[in-house]
Amino acid sequence: MSQLKISENGERFCQDVFDTMMQQSDAVYGVLISTVDGHDVTRKFKRDMPSAKLAAMFSSVLALGETIAREADQALCRYVIVENSDGYILTLKLKEKLVLSVIATTDANLGILHSICRSAADKLSKNLR
Amino acid sequence: MSEIKLIITGTPGAGKTTAIAAISETPPVRTDTATTDDLAEVKDVTTVAMDFGELTLDDGQKVFLYGTPGQQRFEFMWKILVQGGLGLIILVDCSRPDPLADLDMYLENFADFIHQTGVVVGVTRRDQSATPSLDEFYERLEAWGRVFPVFEVDVRQKDDVSLMISALISTLEFATA
Ligand SMILES: Nc1nc2c(ncn2[C@@H]2O[C@H](COP(=O)(O)OP(=O)(O)OP(=O)(O)O)[C@@H](O)[C@H]2O)c(=O)[nH]1
Ligand SMILES: [Mg+2]
Repeated sequence: MSQLKISENGERFCQDVFDTMMQQSDAVYGVLISTVDGHDVTRKFKRDMPSAKLAAMFSSVLALGETIAREADQALCRYVIVENSDGYILTLKLKEKLVLSVIATTDANLGILHSICRSAADKLSKNLR
Repeated sequence: MSEIKLIITGTPGAGKTTAIAAISETPPVRTDTATTDDLAEVKDVTTVAMDFGELTLDDGQKVFLYGTPGQQRFEFMWKILVQGGLGLIILVDCSRPDPLADLDMYLENFADFIHQTGVVVGVTRRDQSATPSLDEFYERLEAWGRVFPVFEVDVRQKDDVSLMISALISTLEFATA
């Protein structure tokens, strides 16, 4: 199956960004880039998680978030946040066709995670085609 | 029964989103996003969460239609969407290489749901391929030990979609009578 692939350089760049995110906060234990239609592109996980399944799920939640925003007459969905008793999952659109998701424990607060995500997304958007 | 939830499933490109858009009385809810894989040759967008539409039958009954994503990686959505559902429409795209195998795939994946509900099969894109014949579809269903109505439909036509929904609802009424 022909799928969106990133170059070796692109891959290295993504891994650097993921490393930085994890250095910025110990709470971050998973970062995944996937496509808007649910394919896994690249990731860094400190724990074992099913990346293919998560990639599909992130595309669903993001699409639902965008749809809900539209139905509620609100503009532009920036993030979808899943807040759990033992962690946070933030998902946001990266350029036209990619999705960035961050999985973290509750050791960081949402504000910090927001800013980590935002700066990572800026860097990635500038460097990924 | 004053509200009926029906599910539409089937292969990517079979026309689930199109069918719901054709018949819904309210602007349909869509979750289509850009395709980034092989499907891009067939379609620019694909459903990644669900479609939703509603209609009212002549007797005032409300029907809620939920369209699933077609691709197997969204299987978790299939399980979510069938909850509380009363019937299933399986759309089979005849322009694909093996439509009967596609039918089997959905019958198998929705087996638990099908066990408790009625099913209608909609055979689509007939203008692009006249095979398999309806007989072959019926034979395939018989292999599953079930007889479900099979229709040739153009899901872009409201009347065709309406026909499938009426047929499905009458099988449900028959089952609960
Ligand atoms: N030629 C032809 N085209 C059809 C027919 N029925 C539907 N189509 C087209 O086929 C496409 C179906 O696309 P969708 O409705 O998005 O398909 P879907 O089942 O929702 O696909 P996924 O969401 O990707 O699983 C549309 O572009 C329709 O116009 C038909 O009978 N003949
Ligand atoms: Mg669709």
